[in-house]
Amino acid sequence: MAGIGFALRRLARRDDLLGVLQGYAHSAFITSGPWMFTILALAGITLFGRDLVGVEELTLFRVVVIYNFCFSVVFTGPLVLVATRYLADAIYAKEVEAAPGMLLATLGLAYAIAALTAGPFYPLFSGLPMPVMLGGLVNFFLVCGIWVVSIFLSALKDYLAVTVAFGVGMATGMAGAVLLGDRFGAAGMVWGFSAGLAAIQFGLIARVLAEYPYPVGRMFAFLGYFRKYADLALIGLFANAAVWTDKWIMWFAPERELVSGAMAIYSAYDGAMFIAYLTTLPALTLFTVNIETRFFEHYQGFYRDIQKHATYDQIARNHSAIIAALLDSSRNLIILQGAVCAVCIFLAPAIVGVLGLQYQQIGMFRFGVLGAFFQVLFLFCTVILAYFDLRARNLTAQLVYLVTNGGFTLLFSGMGFPWYGYGYFLASLLAFAVAYLMVADAVRRLPYFAFVANNPSVR
Amino acid sequence: MSRSLPEAPRAPKADVCLLMEGSYPYVAGGVSTWTHDLIRSHADLTFHIVALVADRSARKLAYDLPPNVTGLTHVHLQDPPAGWRWQPGTGRLLRDLERPLARLQQGGGLAEVAEVLRLLAPRRGRIGKRALLNSEDAFRMVVRMCRAALPDASFLEYFWGSRALMSGLFATLLVPMPQAAVYHAISTGYAGLFAARARLETGRPALLTEHGIYTNERRIEILMAEWLFEGADTSLALDKKKRDLRDLWLDTFASYSKACYDACDRIITLYGGNQEFQRRQGADPAKLMIVPNGIDYAGYSQVQRDSTPRPPTIALIGRVVPIKDVKTYIRAAAILREDIPDLKAMILGPLEEDPGYVEECRTIVKHLGLEQTVIFAGRVRLTDWLGKVDAIALTSVSEAQPLVILEAGASGVPTVATDVGSCSELLMGRPDEVPPLGPGGAVTPLASPLDTARELRALLLDRPWRERCAQAIARRVAQSYDKVAIDRIYRAIYDEHIAMPTRPTHDQQDFQLSGAA
Repeated sequence: MAGIGFALRRLARRDDLLGVLQGYAHSAFITSGPWMFTILALAGITLFGRDLVGVEELTLFRVVVIYNFCFSVVFTGPLVLVATRYLADAIYAKEVEAAPGMLLATLGLAYAIAALTAGPFYPLFSGLPMPVMLGGLVNFFLVCGIWVVSIFLSALKDYLAVTVAFGVGMATGMAGAVLLGDRFGAAGMVWGFSAGLAAIQFGLIARVLAEYPYPVGRMFAFLGYFRKYADLALIGLFANAAVWTDKWIMWFAPERELVSGAMAIYSAYDGAMFIAYLTTLPALTLFTVNIETRFFEHYQGFYRDIQKHATYDQIARNHSAIIAALLDSSRNLIILQGAVCAVCIFLAPAIVGVLGLQYQQIGMFRFGVLGAFFQVLFLFCTVILAYFDLRARNLTAQLVYLVTNGGFTLLFSGMGFPWYGYGYFLASLLAFAVAYLMVADAVRRLPYFAFVANNPSVR
Repeated sequence: MSRSLPEAPRAPKADVCLLMEGSYPYVAGGVSTWTHDLIRSHADLTFHIVALVADRSARKLAYDLPPNVTGLTHVHLQDPPAGWRWQPGTGRLLRDLERPLARLQQGGGLAEVAEVLRLLAPRRGRIGKRALLNSEDAFRMVVRMCRAALPDASFLEYFWGSRALMSGLFATLLVPMPQAAVYHAISTGYAGLFAARARLETGRPALLTEHGIYTNERRIEILMAEWLFEGADTSLALDKKKRDLRDLWLDTFASYSKACYDACDRIITLYGGNQEFQRRQGADPAKLMIVPNGIDYAGYSQVQRDSTPRPPTIALIGRVVPIKDVKTYIRAAAILREDIPDLKAMILGPLEEDPGYVEECRTIVKHLGLEQTVIFAGRVRLTDWLGKVDAIALTSVSEAQPLVILEAGASGVPTVATDVGSCSELLMGRPDEVPPLGPGGAVTPLASPLDTARELRALLLDRPWRERCAQAIARRVAQSYDKVAIDRIYRAIYDEHIAMPTRPTHDQQDFQLSGAA
């Protein structure tokens, strides 16, 4: 991920204001990742669609998009992480000829996953009218495809093209949803939105194929990585499930709406949580542009100097430098995000009012903001764990988050809506504490981990 | 493998436990063949073999183990027993181990080995690689040792170097000890370390037979090693070079040798030249002993001299490879032919090993016009030829104790040899020879066709001189190099030490290291 950060920081360091703005705008977009992407898409369409179609039609559309985004990201999670690892290794070994073949293979697998999951679900359990159902199905395939093509984003240095693809795609999607929704209701919105997603997916595929003009070959070479990195596949599954598990459980709360067939949502909760998560944008940006890159430089220096035959005292100095950089950065980060968080909690009634939400959502929103604060810190901890390739620890952290988020949400969902969101907050806090202790411990003992505990050459 | 042999501690108690590093029974070669013969020559003694090998990869036996081998224990030098991951007191243990381990890396000896054993003994079976090499306490110990001993060295190199050395040390010290009356190491190094441990732990005597000098061979290997990183500034150093990672390896092996020499009751080698090295490495002169390799004197002395008229004939017996320096022999033959036009210069030995070198030799033969003189006969039965040869030439650049000099000598053929290994001792006699038997040929400098030709000419043309030499070498072989006699010497050594009472072990009150030394 640091690759993106470096290019963005170059942009942000340009001496004019436009450069700075550009840099942070890109980073806000790229760092937010799938999660933020979902929220922005939903927010946009809800905003425009509210007056065009009836509430019922809009809800139908929303449930399709939410289901598609959350289940696709969970089901493709293992594939995405394992394929990312393979691609990163191939780039490191300067063997990128495999990229086009791998792109087609991962796309094929993503579609296979879609066919096996959404394929039976939509016709059998969704109970949606035929045009909406078919649109939802196509939409699911497209979203799965986007997650997979996104793997190749970090390999592409052309962030502008990426941003353009997403920008044009989302604009097309919104316009399509609004225009078609006006004439065909929910089915029109789903198909129109899908047109935008198709633009993103095929635009990115074209970009990747243009960047790697090699013949297609060794398509399934990366499948061997599933055995080698089974823990990584599980991390991909658990991490995405953990983020969504509180929403899933709240879909069974008494206040939920059964939209169609087996498809239920609880829009008050979902909406509060989505908006709460938007408060992490400043922290995400700061982390990607500044902290991760700074950490990465020290991280690289540490390992490079070892390979260049540094003395132990030099290694110890580099070790201290990593710790100092991390402490320094996390202080800045916590101050920034803490301030954002505090402001949002104090101004919660006002924010809820401005956004036209219901007053019963204020409590959920406040817990959501607090939870998002710790969730984003948790995310940073797992990024550091990923850098040190401490997969067992990362897996443990994700599992803790999944279990606590599920468990606590279940526990508090029975206690009435004043408690809604409390489970998510508590789980985020606890998962962050666990991840933080694991990162702190690993960083403190870094030389031991580098030479012995996490060294594949030491048997 | 024809039968599977029990490993220690299930194996029955043997008379002799042979400690073999990287040789018998998996690698064929001089030392392995010698060991195989030794076991077969003492058919009424039982042997247990400790094979010190690199790792756990499967290997094939190079020899059928004789029936009197009753056990075979493996030491995997790069892969010590795993042991438990967690156990109380590991940190303390490693802090206690640090001092003796550090000293072993800088020229320690038996006292340090005893100290390490004493610390490991109460945890035997539980302690292993996980705690001693892979724990954080172990890593901290390595860091402390590096900063204390080689603060300017590449830590990466130190880490892998000391890890390799400690793996070997712990593997050797932690494997279950086979029970035997006598422990006999066939080299120093880890085999020697094992002998030291056996002496300390069982109280039974330990013996050492060194064919080549282990520390010397290691020294050559390490000085030539390209994998060892050299600090960038070493070439600029004007004064004495700082201690570096090569010294870590050399000093550690020197420590193991020292410990072995101190622990062993007898330190045997093939010839006097090696003893000098052993003395310099700190071996107690009182324990030193020379037992050469023997040959079948009875068989070779039966070879009949071929009395039918034939041209004067010389022979080089050995593989046609660079180390034998066959080219010098061919050039000597060219010089010799000027005085003896009908000379026959045989080359008796396999030609397959280095075809390129054989080709070069043939080119020289053609170039010098020696096609009628120099004959490549390939692999032959030596006894068919020794009767038809007047003198043997040995132009090798390196030898230990070449058996051809003895085999030819037993059948009454003198030799002209380069001054390598024990050649001069074989041909001129050891200083303590009683009575002095006189020269059995001549010794020449390395790579000197002129000297080789001159000495061969003397043997070929001066008949009384040749006969004096032939008699001397034949008598010397009978007296000192008859395998039957050599076997008896080893038998006497074994009998003496098998009968020795068990001495206090390192964990007993009355144990004293000086008593072991």
